[in-house]
Amino acid sequence: MSTRRHFLKLGAAAAMAPAVVSAQGAGAGRVVVIGGGFAGATAARTLKTLEPKLTVTLVEPNPVYTSCPFSNSVLANLREIEQQQFRYDGVKRAGVTVAETSATAVDVDAKAVTLADGNRLSYDRLVMSPGIDFNWTAIPGYDEAAAQKMPHAWKAGAQTVLLRQQLQSMQDGGLVVMSVPANPFRCPPGPYERASLIAYWLKIWKPKSKLLLLDAKDAFSKQRLFQNGWAELYPGMIEWVPLSQGGKVTSVDPATLTLVTEFGSHKAAVANVIPPQRAGAIAAQAGVADRTGWCPIEPVAFESTLRPGIHVLGDAAIMGGMPKSAFAANAQAKVCAAAIVELLAGRKAPDPILINTCYSLVAADYGISIAGVYRPTNGQLADIPGAGGVSPLEAVGGLRGQEALYASSWFRTITAEVYG
Amino acid sequence: MHRLLLPGLAAALLLAGGSTWAVDGPPGGPPGASSCTGCHASAKITDSVIPRIAGRKAADIVTFMREYRSGAWPSSVMGRIAKGFDDQQIDAIAAWFAAQPE
Repeated sequence: MSTRRHFLKLGAAAAMAPAVVSAQGAGAGRVVVIGGGFAGATAARTLKTLEPKLTVTLVEPNPVYTSCPFSNSVLANLREIEQQQFRYDGVKRAGVTVAETSATAVDVDAKAVTLADGNRLSYDRLVMSPGIDFNWTAIPGYDEAAAQKMPHAWKAGAQTVLLRQQLQSMQDGGLVVMSVPANPFRCPPGPYERASLIAYWLKIWKPKSKLLLLDAKDAFSKQRLFQNGWAELYPGMIEWVPLSQGGKVTSVDPATLTLVTEFGSHKAAVANVIPPQRAGAIAAQAGVADRTGWCPIEPVAFESTLRPGIHVLGDAAIMGGMPKSAFAANAQAKVCAAAIVELLAGRKAPDPILINTCYSLVAADYGISIAGVYRPTNGQLADIPGAGGVSPLEAVGGLRGQEALYASSWFRTITAEVYG
Repeated sequence: MHRLLLPGLAAALLLAGGSTWAVDGPPGGPPGASSCTGCHASAKITDSVIPRIAGRKAADIVTFMREYRSGAWPSSVMGRIAKGFDDQQIDAIAAWFAAQPE
């Protein structure tokens, strides 16, 4: 910490001079990582482990990270929000400097990041893993103030707790309405796991209640597995309304908890609006986001195709066939860290293979999964044909229970690797 | 019998020098290896039903991966994942994990 303070002071002193401050150990390579989620924290830590001579700075304003994976279990009272929270002590112990502030600008030509505390960090390679931001103008009526009445709970933390409180205060027989955006968005199976676990909780505590799932698309991840699970466990409780049947929410009224679609309007007792998304705001500022709002990258080192020298990881990036999941973000970060070590040494990064595995809970003891294996193909990360896929529709030998156990084991393992 | 023979065969192939990833490959291991530790913990952790593979015999890892891939050994996600790797890639990943601290 004292080293960083010293370095930051030097930065302030050097602000008069045209040159930006150099981190200690110049020549060995300086990497700045923006964003301390699953991608960024993994990248920072892996860089330092693979090449201890690197100077690695992780820019992250929050001292505590709240994990989205497993936050749906908090809604169903199966976990507490504290079990979702992780500090950066393990990342620091690995030798990473954590700058507890946010990045306000990236100067691509000068290869420097401006921080909210006024300091500047110069870099040889920049890793951006800013996660997602919400498109607050996409659904008329749904802005940041509306999210206090109709929580999104799509960035875990206070919003998750708010939605849980609303569910707990709801009268038995109340209608829960969820709104799901079109692709792409963070965690493709997440809304359907959420619907499942809310139904799981309602069935125990508010059994006369129902859940309406308004969807801006006509198909979703693990669809048959989810729908079979709903029919088996929660008959008549969950109604999924696809795009073609008026599922797209066109406006909301937070004062009356009303969601308006092309076909009508629905008044909710509890409303969960998951709005359309894009890469975290700093991505657009740095020029790594394209007109879609997401970040195109090449598929070997995940370097931006718009701004060389900047690597983009996790939910913010356009990763071809790879979904926006924590497992994928962690896998991408490890590949990227190894590639950066090679690039800084003047060598070529090798072609990678990446795996994604994603579990969803349909009930506390009922898990389903999707997996994929990916490699660079024609400038994109593409599925390796013949590999991957979802759990079998017919479960034998206690498979659903086993996959629920694998899900919680995965969460303990990945959070230990990233934050432990 | 087949299952007993396979590890020996794989070990012999590895000893014959097929893969040098464990010693002088690029950092982070051969293609695909770094993804595995998302589930198979690289450091010792408690309370997981997913086994660690660091420090396991390469021949055993090769046997499991081939049998997951063929379906001879039933699995949940591993069969779907193993189908993305050929024999050479599996040998390299196995050798790399075998060289990691247990």
